[in-house]
Amino acid sequence: MATIANPGISEEDRILRVWTPILLRTILIVSAIVLVVGLFLMATKSPDNYVTRFHAAQRADFIEPTTFVQLLHLAAAGDPHSVLMVGLFVLTLVPLARVAFSFLLFIRERDFAYVAFTAYVLAGLITGMLLGSIG
Amino acid sequence: MLEILGGLLGLAFAAGFVGSLSGLGGGVFIVPALVIAAHMPMVVAIGASLISVVATSAGASVAFVRDGWTNLKVAMVLECATVTGAVAGALLAGMIPPVVLEFLFALMMLQSAYFSLRKQGDELVPHGDEIARKLDLAGDIPDESGKTVHYEIVQLPAGAALMVLAGIMSGLLGIGSGALKVMAMDYFMHIPLKVSSATSNFMIGVTAGAGALVFLSRGNVSMSVSAPVALGVTAGALLGSRILPHANARVLRLVFTVILILIAVEMGWRAVKGI
Repeated sequence: MATIANPGISEEDRILRVWTPILLRTILIVSAIVLVVGLFLMATKSPDNYVTRFHAAQRADFIEPTTFVQLLHLAAAGDPHSVLMVGLFVLTLVPLARVAFSFLLFIRERDFAYVAFTAYVLAGLITGMLLGSIG
Repeated sequence: MLEILGGLLGLAFAAGFVGSLSGLGGGVFIVPALVIAAHMPMVVAIGASLISVVATSAGASVAFVRDGWTNLKVAMVLECATVTGAVAGALLAGMIPPVVLEFLFALMMLQSAYFSLRKQGDELVPHGDEIARKLDLAGDIPDESGKTVHYEIVQLPAGAALMVLAGIMSGLLGIGSGALKVMAMDYFMHIPLKVSSATSNFMIGVTAGAGALVFLSRGNVSMSVSAPVALGVTAGALLGSRILPHANARVLRLVFTVILILIAVEMGWRAVKGI
């Protein structure tokens, strides 16, 4: 694919174009590794648990650990199901991370209109998370 | 366990592959695949799909952002609209009867089918709106001969309104709503099609991410389904994007549109049976 040569490109835009892909790719690779490890642990340690949970999902029955701290402890102890959940959380943080990165950059560049836009998107993502855990 | 895991990985791989080749994204294929083939309820399929859409958006965006096709400023402004819609949609998804979701899904698939068959061409405008100028949204791209073409942007509010709708559909149905997003940018805001596609792809990460966070924090995501689906869809989409430049795009689009209409009919029929 052709790369666009644009001499008038701003410093802000240049930093975003260099760092956003690196950020996206890194988090994606990390989450993929965690997910593969989780599935491997599941297959070796508790394949029956996997099957039980699969059939529970078919009945829309979700059997999940309660708090995030609990989840991290379980994942650290090598509980396959919690490792999978951590992998999916990391994956979902990809957009959050890149919006947070743009937000910080716009603050540094004093581009306040875009500080406001990215702050709104961040607030929206966090509100969604909070409303989800209440409702 | 391995049969189930293998089946899910295969199903997701195929959905990601077809989604990437057709340019419609994995979501419109993985949701019906999980509902029809894996006998999953809509809510499980939507949660799994949202997470996999985050992954494919991130994967596909890397090259587009680096090479300058994505209009990052347009994306950041319009993401305010999609994130609002997506959170609302995801919260509503827990309350709306599955029958309604299946019916809406069929409708969105038909919109995608119409979108992929419609005549496409760029209509650039010479002057942008005042608001677009203030926000410095215009951009430059090369044309076929390599010459730089400048494009201006108009009708930001209309585009944003359609983005709210795209967000709601994404959160409700677990899809990226790429067809709606591209339509908003290409048709209303007069952004060149290739920039619209790249920007839509980039924005889909935040839209689906907002929905996925609601589902995850509500505990409405099945790990045993979502983990292999995320891996499979991503791998399928990667392969699809490698093959795409060598494929006959017109024939592919026609074949996939027919498949899409058939799945829409099946999903619509399920909704009717469920009433």
